[in-house]
Amino acid sequence: MKRCLPGLCIAWVSALSLSAIPATTLADDAQNKRFGKIKGTGGVSAISGAGGGGLTPWATLGSYAEDGQLGGTVFVTQARVDDYQLDVYGGAFTWHNKVEVSYARQDFLIEAAGVHIRQDKVGLRYRLAGDIIYQRLPQITIGVEHGELRDTAVALAVGAEDTRGTDYTLSMAKAWLNGIAHRTTLLNVNLRYSNANQFGILGYGGDDADTKVNLELAGAIFINRSIAVGIEWRQKPDNLSALTEHHAKDLFLAYFPSKRLSLTAAWVDLGDIAGAPDQRGVYFSLQANL
Amino acid sequence: MSNNNLMTAKRLLTILALSTTLTLSACATQQDSNQDDSLYQALGAEQGITQIADHFIMEIAYDPRVFDRFADSNVARFREKIIQHFCFIADGPCEYTGDSMVLTHRGMDINAAEFNAVVEDLIDAMDKAGTPISAQNRLLDRLAGLRPEIMGI
Repeated sequence: MKRCLPGLCIAWVSALSLSAIPATTLADDAQNKRFGKIKGTGGVSAISGAGGGGLTPWATLGSYAEDGQLGGTVFVTQARVDDYQLDVYGGAFTWHNKVEVSYARQDFLIEAAGVHIRQDKVGLRYRLAGDIIYQRLPQITIGVEHGELRDTAVALAVGAEDTRGTDYTLSMAKAWLNGIAHRTTLLNVNLRYSNANQFGILGYGGDDADTKVNLELAGAIFINRSIAVGIEWRQKPDNLSALTEHHAKDLFLAYFPSKRLSLTAAWVDLGDIAGAPDQRGVYFSLQANL
Repeated sequence: MSNNNLMTAKRLLTILALSTTLTLSACATQQDSNQDDSLYQALGAEQGITQIADHFIMEIAYDPRVFDRFADSNVARFREKIIQHFCFIADGPCEYTGDSMVLTHRGMDINAAEFNAVVEDLIDAMDKAGTPISAQNRLLDRLAGLRPEIMGI
């Protein structure tokens, strides 16, 4: 408004006189008129701190920063499954919708023992090519994700080779504005090179090393401009002979009341973790955009 | 004092121009069509598209991200052409008589953030006009194809 010159403003606003538009509604989206990407396209915060879904990062970089802009996100997440609880907080900065740097502190609680396993995750991602909406080719993002355990005893006890490790990701995402049921529809595919045990919570590597290249899939549909529902599936390696590790999956609902805030609720199934079978439960995440 | 008079005069002229535009666009839509105009109908036909255009103009006027880009535009002409363009793109019974997207945007070097801002303004306009999400997405999908003719040129 402050850039709207009085005379021009009248000219533009007087178009109003032809149709009765309630002027009060105009203030409602004032906060949305700040950022460069379309609402929802910044995604939410993954448990690694990177932009994406929840269990997996997506090729979309976090925040609403477009070319020539800076953006940031902060988030808190809690997942509660049968025998464990995972608390995560962190954030990410994005430059020009090109480079994303992320951090997350994960705190995994073994409820029966009252034992906490904390892990720091730092990530760096780069958008190589494409635009999620407007180009025929998918948006392609490469990334590194380094994890380092602060509490190493459990990982070493179960036979992990290392208490720190680095994952490499290649992500491809494509959104169709007019997708399934004329709703905006997104598909994301990641290839992850990793030797992490349970996201690194149980360390990295082991005596029964499994394939290091893993597939991650996610799909989402925007029911309207503010609500997206979707699924994620994350293949995980199974490196420890003493313990079985399963793939993880979730069903989520993300709510974007504005470009400032997003709320995600999900049902998660993490499979067996450290001998405790069928770990299923709920996942909640709150993200603010800076 | 004189500034007030000037503003009043400008407003009157605009209303006059817009009334003329209405008459003209009413004439321009007298065409038969035998193609699939389901999107045109889903957008609310002429009345719906007119409402979308009017809300769109308001959204742009209040959008500090892009208002400068439209500051030199003739509002009445913009309104007339955008109604025609939406109608044409939706396979409605209209001919688009405005300039090509390339000609309209050449030299502006519009960036991705500005393009997205206008897309959001259009989405807000369609929300306010009560356009169903499905029809919004069908129109946006067709308009998105024009991005290379609008951005970065």
